[in-house]
Amino acid sequence: MKRYDCMLELSRLVSDELVILSLGGSVDEWYNAAPHMRTASLFQQQLGCVTPEAFGLAVGLPHQRVISLDTDGGLLFNLGILATLGNEQPPNLFIVVWDNESYQSIGGPPTHTATGRVDLAAIARGAGVEQSHTVRTLAEFAEHCQAGLAATVPYLVVAKVEGGAQPGIKRKHSDGREDKYIFVRHVEATEGITIMGPSEHN
Amino acid sequence: MQQEAVTAVISGLKRAGVSVVCYLPDSLFKPLYPALDADPELRTIRVTNEGEGASICGGVFLSGQRAVLVMENSGLRAAVEPLARMGLGAGIPVVMLMSYRGELGENNWWAIPHGITMEPVLNALRVPYRIVREQADIEQAIVDSYESSYASYYHSAVVLGGGIVR
Repeated sequence: MKRYDCMLELSRLVSDELVILSLGGSVDEWYNAAPHMRTASLFQQQLGCVTPEAFGLAVGLPHQRVISLDTDGGLLFNLGILATLGNEQPPNLFIVVWDNESYQSIGGPPTHTATGRVDLAAIARGAGVEQSHTVRTLAEFAEHCQAGLAATVPYLVVAKVEGGAQPGIKRKHSDGREDKYIFVRHVEATEGITIMGPSEHN
Repeated sequence: MQQEAVTAVISGLKRAGVSVVCYLPDSLFKPLYPALDADPELRTIRVTNEGEGASICGGVFLSGQRAVLVMENSGLRAAVEPLARMGLGAGIPVVMLMSYRGELGENNWWAIPHGITMEPVLNALRVPYRIVREQADIEQAIVDSYESSYASYYHSAVVLGGGIVR
């Protein structure tokens, strides 16, 4: 199963949601797979930060569905967030973990999931995120995306995907700072709120 | 920590518009945590480490609500990685309220590193901060911290030390 194909599936299911996603090859892939979600997606180069940030966003916007596109390396960096989610039970947070069993962005050395002993969905269930599932086919992935996007409890899908990034796709040119402004202005417009307003004197 | 200081912290957070509090409890702020939990205007989130707490606060910022990360100053070291990435890499601010462990007069050997490293780490990250030792200054320091962070879109910190916490 290819991550890019999964993203195309997910892309078809989303429109009004907010997305925070992890670093590496998945950034350019999501940028291409879901062009209608570009301003609604925060592209962050932050190992271990993605799901906690998505949770914070979900807390602040309880009426909004928030999607975290995390990775095996990113989740392993901070497994504690699973225990926090298990206790907090955010009803509007859907998490996809792209598990390619490697640190792909630096050339592909294995993560701890590569041995087959470490089961991220089982860890999540043990931490109290009961709706945690591992999928290996596109059909399973699509089915769990539909369930996760409609869930009223935190929902986590570990998507076992092949290594390597989708070739020949357009690169995103913006950096983290520009991405933040784009995302914040999107949230301001859709929510009718001010997050980054004017100074006392301009 | 006296009840009056707890009240001043909560007043400062409310004046600053804070609605979400992430914390990893410590001993110097011991009475503060149940008071935060009990306040109906504040949503408290207990975290497993301060780096996770910083990241959650960053997400809350993106929602338009205001968050604070409450912790012992040792938690600053655990939070350095997400603080550097969010603050220096994206301009996503986190306001921190920390207790001053390891200040002059510290009588626990294990707390000495916290005092030695706190200000150098804050300075390495270029985080503006104020060390408050008088109860009367707590509320305004918290308000000032938010004013700065929402002008710079960068982190800031208030450190409570001296007789406030000892």
